[in-house]
Amino acid sequence: MNEWLSSLVDIVGAPYVITHPAALKTYAQDGYTLASGMPRAVVMPGNAEEARAVVKHLYRHRIPVVARGAGTSLSGGAIPSDGAVVLHFSRMRTIRHIDWTNQIVQVDPGVINAEVTRALEPYGYFYAPDPSSQQACTIGGNFAENSGGPHCLKYGVTLNHIVMADVILANGEAVRLGSLAGEPEGLDWLGVLVGSEGTLGIATQLWLKMTESPTQSRTLAALFDEVADASEAVSDVIASGIVPAALEMMDRLAISAVERGSYPVGYPDDLAAVLLLELDGEAAVVDEEVKLVIDLMQRHHVRQVREAQSLEERALWWANRKTAFGAMGLISPDYYVQDGVIPRHLLPDALAFIDRTARRYGIRIANVFHAGDGNLHPLLLFDAANPADVERVQAAGLDILAYCVKHGGSITGEHGIGLEKLDAVRWQFTEAELAAQAMIKRLWDPDGLLNPGKVLPTPGRCVDFRP
Amino acid sequence: MVSPLDQCVHCGLCLSSCPTYLETGLEMESPRGRLVLLNLWAQAPEQRDAAISQWLDDCLDCRACEAVCPAHVPTGHLVEAWRGESEDAPRPGRAQRLLMRLIENPRGLKWLQRLGRWSQTRVGRSLVRWWLTGREDSPLRLQQGLPPLQSRRLSREQITSNHRGPGDLWLFVGCVMDAIYAGTNRHAADLLRLAGLTVVVDPRQRCCGALHWHNGQRAQAQQWAQENIEAFESSGCRMVVVDAAGCLTALREYPVLLAGTPYEARAHAFSQAVFDALEVLSQHPLPPLPDQGLTVTVHDACHHVHAQGIRHQPRFLLERAGYRLVEMANASQCCGSAGIYNLAHPDMSRALLAAKVRAIPPQAEVVSAANPGCLLHIQQGLAASGTPVTAQHPLDLLWHAYRSQGYLPGGGARE
Repeated sequence: MNEWLSSLVDIVGAPYVITHPAALKTYAQDGYTLASGMPRAVVMPGNAEEARAVVKHLYRHRIPVVARGAGTSLSGGAIPSDGAVVLHFSRMRTIRHIDWTNQIVQVDPGVINAEVTRALEPYGYFYAPDPSSQQACTIGGNFAENSGGPHCLKYGVTLNHIVMADVILANGEAVRLGSLAGEPEGLDWLGVLVGSEGTLGIATQLWLKMTESPTQSRTLAALFDEVADASEAVSDVIASGIVPAALEMMDRLAISAVERGSYPVGYPDDLAAVLLLELDGEAAVVDEEVKLVIDLMQRHHVRQVREAQSLEERALWWANRKTAFGAMGLISPDYYVQDGVIPRHLLPDALAFIDRTARRYGIRIANVFHAGDGNLHPLLLFDAANPADVERVQAAGLDILAYCVKHGGSITGEHGIGLEKLDAVRWQFTEAELAAQAMIKRLWDPDGLLNPGKVLPTPGRCVDFRP
Repeated sequence: MVSPLDQCVHCGLCLSSCPTYLETGLEMESPRGRLVLLNLWAQAPEQRDAAISQWLDDCLDCRACEAVCPAHVPTGHLVEAWRGESEDAPRPGRAQRLLMRLIENPRGLKWLQRLGRWSQTRVGRSLVRWWLTGREDSPLRLQQGLPPLQSRRLSREQITSNHRGPGDLWLFVGCVMDAIYAGTNRHAADLLRLAGLTVVVDPRQRCCGALHWHNGQRAQAQQWAQENIEAFESSGCRMVVVDAAGCLTALREYPVLLAGTPYEARAHAFSQAVFDALEVLSQHPLPPLPDQGLTVTVHDACHHVHAQGIRHQPRFLLERAGYRLVEMANASQCCGSAGIYNLAHPDMSRALLAAKVRAIPPQAEVVSAANPGCLLHIQQGLAASGTPVTAQHPLDLLWHAYRSQGYLPGGGARE
């Protein structure tokens, strides 16, 4: 056995070093299926010390490292560049401590997002960032991707909810960033690390802010016959000054998929769009806001506004919405989801543009997205077995991203750059901005060993990009 | 048409539902990983090896992933098909084969019952204890999970049919239920009658075939399925009622088992007539009972909660019968029994059992489980841990409650 490999076995134990080719193949992808890469090994550290020793050892051999939680990234964040070692955090999944005085939860990186809320809920608190993959995705991954979710409209993204983290640097050194007091002293290094997609450091312990559950929470589903009406209604809600906890939209194609999925709620099949709205806070305020929102919906010819009648019904509506991406498997062999953001007043125009793009390329596009913050998720349906299909979808995708950038938006709201948007990064940033980011990367990881080939466009990519 | 393997879009939402992934943390022990391996198995035969078949065969077939999959990828069914069709899939061991032989007909079942009874005599007990010393993995360890066995007759011989006509229920007595849990079958008949229904036990019924089907003997399972369908059709009954989660799912999946055979259409009609006794009873107005002074926690059998969506019924019935309920964490996570999985995968099975026993809340005095495999397995784990908590079928709990209140013959006082 090679020295680099036998030392890894010494650090974590033989069962936790994987080199079987078929096993490695199961680690070749994450939630993004347009690319893949074969790792040279997968290592599963049992604690932070082991993780640090592994990174330090790999640094000595200049072997690249890619951290992985549940592998649910939608931009290829956890896809290894060929020959990298995957650091899989599935064994480190304990909630270490709940500090009720400071309202902080200390967790391992492999803790599942939804488990944090499950631990807090009985005591009247929750963990606010709720990506749609929350039943599986991990806090370590959320840290790397700065994950969002429907309720980030009101509560903010992961960045706003992590106060401190223990991080391993490229050379295996461990540092603690941030503080329990919340506000950073000096430069906000933690802020630099959150959302850096594993390219600057790997978190081994995280301290999260808990949020008090609202006293009142009401969930509405507004059913529309025209997409334009629904999107104008969204713009009006935002303009009214109300900040809903969540404001989501699904169009006809998306509804047809989720209604065939695991959590059908019974949306009529001739709907053009549904808006899912949640309003929470003090009871009296929420009741006023609900009235106002229903009035706004009616001004835009809503067919019907339903309200969830129980906690179970509310949970069902959300499960229906949150499994939408996976449900695409029911109507298409593959999908390519985008994550562009547009200024919210452009929503009606953006949806019309997406519709025109679908027609122009002769593809189907379903829309499921965070309407409230203008974060689009067009799901471009295709069949990977058909190369022409793949090309059409990629070209259409680029057109949509170009539209977002041109209108003052962004190429990504919450899914990250990963491998997927490396080309589009150049439209978003100027050369100077890119150079500044490359400087930060060199400062933290001079040898380019942490999650290479991601986030920053580099001349030669080592990951096999299909087709 | 999208093929089942292609239906997986790699979202990963199944990972946190998979007991073997949670236990090992390995992607190849997750549903998504197994689909990658199945694809590889089909497309690159030269790469097949024992390690891959082990990862595939570690699947409990608990269906938890199928229940949460947004795209309805039938991962459990696909692994099952692989087990049945692939020559390289691990074959059942000696203990499994013996059990599968015994459940093939009533004569074998009587032997199973006899063996169980002998193992509980003083001599039998010390023999078992002697044999188990230093043999952590022995299948005989399951003996420690047996309920006290007195009966010398199968339940099919104990339950008299009160045949009246087309409204009757065709009580499916199963195999292990028939021999080892004969009392539970009797209780099922009593409770269904208390609910005003008529019950028939058809001597022509065969084992549901689940164990054979899931262990690579599809033809045998198909044969019994056909016999069961014919017997039910000619009985004139309107409903098949079952009290074991594993049998329930197997009977309801006869259309899958018999797909492409001349019996397919009849299997569909049969499948729609199959109900669990807990489903039937919760549709009928049994009287609510006063507090029974016993705290119960419900373990959801995989083939109830994941395969059939049965979750509410046992809780509703137990509460109506006066039991205090307390929820355990991960009630719907597989206990590791998984049919006869525990015989072939002792390590994984033991790890899952330990997690199940740990999750039992301190207030609970009884764990309710509506499947013979779970009952045996969990009871064995409880006995080994030294706790006084016992595992019981919810129908047994219900029967005792209604009997103690004088609703059933011999009632008025607790046994």
